[in-house]
Amino acid sequence: MKRSLLMALGLLLLGTVVLCAAPVTLNFVVWSYNIATIQDNIAKFEAANPDIRVKLQDYPWNQYHDTMVLRLKGRTRTDVMYNGEDWLPEFAAAGWVASLEDFFPEVKKYKEKTAPYALADMTYKGKLYGLSYYADIITFQYNKVILKNNGLSVPKDWDQVLQECLKLKQGGMKYPFVYEYDATLPNFYSAFASQVYGRGGSLFDAQLNPLLNDPDGEAFKQLQWLQDAKVKYDIMAFENHETKVVPAMNTGQHVFTVLYNYNLAAMNKPPQALAGQFDIATMPGKAGACLGFAKFYCMTSQAAKDPVRRNAAWRFIEAFGGGDYKVAKRWAVEDGLGFAALPLMDDPDVKKAWASWIDMEKFKAQAKLARNDVNPEWKGMWSEFFRPLMAKAFVGGATVKEVMDQGAAKWNEYKELLEE
Amino acid sequence: VARRELSRYPIEWLFPVLILVIVFTVYPFGYAIWSSLFRILLISPKRPFVGFKNYLDVVSSIYFQEALLNTLLFAAITAPLTVVIALGVARLLLTRFFGRGVVRAVVLLPWAMPAVVSGIVWVWIFHGRWGVLNAVLLKTGIISTYIEWLDHPVLAKFSVMVAHIWTQIPFASVLLMAALSIINKELYEAAEVDGAGVVRKFFSITLPQIKGMATIALIYELIMGLTAYDLTYAMTGGGPGGATTLLGYYVWAESFKMLQFGRGAALGVIMAAITLALILAIMRAVPGELSVEN
Repeated sequence: MKRSLLMALGLLLLGTVVLCAAPVTLNFVVWSYNIATIQDNIAKFEAANPDIRVKLQDYPWNQYHDTMVLRLKGRTRTDVMYNGEDWLPEFAAAGWVASLEDFFPEVKKYKEKTAPYALADMTYKGKLYGLSYYADIITFQYNKVILKNNGLSVPKDWDQVLQECLKLKQGGMKYPFVYEYDATLPNFYSAFASQVYGRGGSLFDAQLNPLLNDPDGEAFKQLQWLQDAKVKYDIMAFENHETKVVPAMNTGQHVFTVLYNYNLAAMNKPPQALAGQFDIATMPGKAGACLGFAKFYCMTSQAAKDPVRRNAAWRFIEAFGGGDYKVAKRWAVEDGLGFAALPLMDDPDVKKAWASWIDMEKFKAQAKLARNDVNPEWKGMWSEFFRPLMAKAFVGGATVKEVMDQGAAKWNEYKELLEE
Repeated sequence: VARRELSRYPIEWLFPVLILVIVFTVYPFGYAIWSSLFRILLISPKRPFVGFKNYLDVVSSIYFQEALLNTLLFAAITAPLTVVIALGVARLLLTRFFGRGVVRAVVLLPWAMPAVVSGIVWVWIFHGRWGVLNAVLLKTGIISTYIEWLDHPVLAKFSVMVAHIWTQIPFASVLLMAALSIINKELYEAAEVDGAGVVRKFFSITLPQIKGMATIALIYELIMGLTAYDLTYAMTGGGPGGATTLLGYYVWAESFKMLQFGRGAALGVIMAAITLALILAIMRAVPGELSVEN
């Protein structure tokens, strides 16, 4: 009897030891972008941290928000995830993601090394929730060769963009402007916000009141410009994804576009037919500002509850988004992704890699003028409502006033619901 | 004996299936109706009872009218067209010809493809500047300038309908092939003796014999049309400007994009009611075909 009891206890102890020694497995969820690089980064991390295993799961970008809502609400095990600036307040308010500062105060050391707009995007109620995967700006991009060959200069404002498009159209170019048009993409809104910032306008004031429906406001004027470009002047072609805008620009059938800046790297690199012909210009408008944003690694509240997973998650997040910024640097060098880490601005490897596709000084100047967006808890949800309306206005299916009034009303509805 | 046993213990025999129906159909639907009466904003802990406000909100929303019309039009055109084309395909596949096995496999291919993949394939066909269709039409001299199939509201509707019908034909064909293959051949022989032509044989023999299955296929396709959205969204994202926006998308969008579960549930209940009404209308129009006795 005694022997059996001892054996049972021994087995229990052995089991406990085996379980404790087993590596912790982190569930890491991302949107689909260059999965091979992510897997390679994970392999390197696992080699350096044999007590942690990482299971990767990816979802398409335009389905990422909805999928994560289902995953997090349904408590599907998720430890570390990509997060976006417009979803952080929503997910944090729902209690789905945890502040890094609450558990790892040492994360604060990264604040001073982070670009201000990116830091603001990763912060909710004064606390840092993540370390950046990448941070970028949405820029005005153009074909400098075609522009020069037609005797045109870099446009300073949207009136000039229109005049140059009309001139190019007269010369036989059907659609001088190509636009990423898909209401399901969050960047459909972000690109618009970037243009409004270029004009020196805002969509909301500091008290979170909507300004977008002010007919004298810059948001209203810009949406009207876009509608006119499509409906009245017929100078704009649509592509439903940035990966299609890039080759479209390389056909030489278009001169202007507004995109996440990293697309310029893809546009300017061989084997693209017109590689080297593309450049960025300061966002048209009197302010010349643009939208800056951060996408970041975030720890879920599920992971935060378990000390073992929490510590493993932090080590993973720091290795990917902090430390000596090896991972961010790799994204910057290999894919042209922007970065939040200020030290990388002067990194010789980054400078050398970027010199092949962008004028670094122009990028720095535009990044300096970047503003992060207004991101209250309801921003992501509101954006889902507003983007289809905006898409409708683009093609003349609704007036700008109708769309902006509806957008403002919905914003106020969410605001009331969540502030009451 | 079996018939007597069935009638003697009806509930006991039905019980296993009833459990499944209750768990997977009655409970979720009941829960959706219950949820539709509350204001459920996923990130807010408050869930006040709001009665029918969610229904009023979705019906009066800016997207509802357009999405409803688009959905009804989409289903009304694609469902009958799918059944008609599938009937032709089914008849073709029952005919003996060289390579029939290969053709049968190819015809079933769209059924096996995920909707998003189908959407990408059809974008390659309909794209306004580098699509295959424009290239073919231009080379054959049918058009002189490229057509923006997916950027024009009417043409975009047409394009997504074509793609949807393409994905639906295989299943409807399989159903109709089954119905066609059990028609007694002697009926055709007798009709031929009486001098009936192809058209007469179709309307007097084929159609009455497959009416029940064709009605089932029509109802199925109607439901597919009313609840469709994944393929259209892969092709157009609901655009241009809402021209291809369907109600099914907004059930999803209200719930998982705008996180207003109460409204999403209300819209789901409205859609279920519309679908039920249309099914009942079809069953009335084709009396007796779907009853147990038949």
